[in-house]
Amino acid sequence: MKTTLKLLVASAAMTAVSGAAMAEVEKIGLAVPNLQADFFNQIKLGVENYGAEKGIEVIVVDAKNDTATQVSQVQDLMTQGIDAFIYIPAGAAAAAVPTRLARAEGIPVINVDRTPEGAPGDTFIAGESVESAYAVCDHIIRLQGGEGKIAIIHGQKGTTPEVDRFTGCKRAIDEHDGVELVAQQWSQQWSPDEGFSIAQNMMQANPDITMIFGQADGLAMGAARAIEGAGLSDQVVIGGYDGDVAALEYLAECQGPFWVTATQSTQLMGRLAVDSALAVAAGESVPERQIPDAVLTTCANAKRFVANHP
Amino acid sequence: MAGPSEHAPKRSLAELFNLRGATGPLIGLILLCVFLTFATDSFFQLRNFLNILDQITVLGIMAVGMTFVILIGGIDLSVGSVLALSMMVLGYVNIEAGMPMPVAIFAALVASAVNGLIAGVLITRFNVPSFIATLAMMSIARGLANMITNGSQLIGFPLWFNLSAIIRYGGYITVTVAIMLAVFALAYLYQRYRYGGRTLYAIGGNPEVARLAGINVKRNTMLAYTFCSLMAGLAGIMLAARLDAVQPSSGIAYELDAIAAVVIGGTSLSGGTGGIGGTIVGVLIIGVLRNGLNLLQVSPFLQQVVIGLVIVLAVAAETFRKRR
Repeated sequence: MKTTLKLLVASAAMTAVSGAAMAEVEKIGLAVPNLQADFFNQIKLGVENYGAEKGIEVIVVDAKNDTATQVSQVQDLMTQGIDAFIYIPAGAAAAAVPTRLARAEGIPVINVDRTPEGAPGDTFIAGESVESAYAVCDHIIRLQGGEGKIAIIHGQKGTTPEVDRFTGCKRAIDEHDGVELVAQQWSQQWSPDEGFSIAQNMMQANPDITMIFGQADGLAMGAARAIEGAGLSDQVVIGGYDGDVAALEYLAECQGPFWVTATQSTQLMGRLAVDSALAVAAGESVPERQIPDAVLTTCANAKRFVANHP
Repeated sequence: MAGPSEHAPKRSLAELFNLRGATGPLIGLILLCVFLTFATDSFFQLRNFLNILDQITVLGIMAVGMTFVILIGGIDLSVGSVLALSMMVLGYVNIEAGMPMPVAIFAALVASAVNGLIAGVLITRFNVPSFIATLAMMSIARGLANMITNGSQLIGFPLWFNLSAIIRYGGYITVTVAIMLAVFALAYLYQRYRYGGRTLYAIGGNPEVARLAGINVKRNTMLAYTFCSLMAGLAGIMLAARLDAVQPSSGIAYELDAIAAVVIGGTSLSGGTGGIGGTIVGVLIIGVLRNGLNLLQVSPFLQQVVIGLVIVLAVAAETFRKRR
């Protein structure tokens, strides 16, 4: 009883302090494309936990990958009188409309992971996909001695991460004369079941593939199951991207054929987003682009990230 | 099953406002609004109601077409894909080919209508069940929508296009909402007072009896599917205006929302009973429910459960009412 009371007093005091220091941001709206994807779920956890520390109420809406749903949800967020808006656009079109709605209310707009063309927010927080994708592909190519046939399983066509991750990986492929890109397929949802069937078809068409790059861990995990099922774990090396919890656990076992990923600092992104929102509301300037580093993750360091996601 | 004579048009004022079978859903809608008014501060505001109207535009227009198809005892699974096809044709003609917007809108509507016409021909001339015919069209239209830009999105519509979904004229109504209300009104009047509207009930009640009574069942069936696709295409244009962008993955599973709205509104899936009035109420229930659950900050996963429960409730209430 006493401790509860203390906690209450403490949290009330914290609210008062932060409320006085910052330009009264009490409610933050967070619009995410799809909570089924661990990547977005981690960002959400980052925002929620950090928001709780700061005594800020966080309202989360999940668009289930539908842009129209997201626009409706953002309207509803505005009705609830949020003081700042953290916006991760759903779908490839990355609709500019939610940004305009928030602008009309005069509240800060923080973009995370994706940014709508022609309607930028106050800041854009996203990992640097090109360099990290380069590092992942470079790693799997080196594991195979710098030569062989590689296949790429793309994410949803036309989205920023899909384009950037391909650019990075393609650079690594072009740097090695012995490496040939033999197959590419696009997925709709970045999901494991798509990765599974796409990888299966790729191996059917090109049985001598030795490297696969899945543009998200879900795709890479699906591909890994397909390769295991086909008994080709010794032939094929797989690289992923994002550092999902499930993927990190898989990598920590050091069994292959999925060997490497780039772990995005998702929780850090959430915290950065909250800090940026507070800064913008207080009239401070924030950098136009903030780049939390992704970390190349193999079985050597995966365990550490399983225990404590960056 | 209701025969055509039972629904002979009576032109009285009382009839006009008789929602016919939609009273149950209407009571549900009112209870829902009352509950939300007391459960959350932000629900009972003019601005929020205007938001809800914005939010149901696409579903509302699609559900009107779906009502006619379900009234004749059919089903159309292709509307979500046709919506995407319409959006992509619109974007291609305007942005890629550089034609003026009216041409693009016309092309999008024609592409959609042709889709429905093909489904209608398959159903009436080749006796393909409507479920299968429209399932096939669903896949074909989605594929075509993707082929137009090879899967990528298009942006760059003229400014007025997006503004038509955002600017509230007189402080109340956007162009897209006005179009939806016009579609509601015209469809309602057509269904109640035109011969063509009455034949829908006759066909849904019993196609063979309707045929013997001198109704051209095949022609009317084809028209119903063409109209349903045309509405899906129109909904696609509304959605493009709202998002200021088009992408071929739009509208996935929207057919299920449209069917749900029609069913919640009291139209029977076996055809012959129900109508536009109920569908409008059904669309509003879904719109208010989604909006209210967002305002109540109900978790997205629980929202899906609640919407499912409402569908079950609506249909159970309908069955119970019939048994009495």
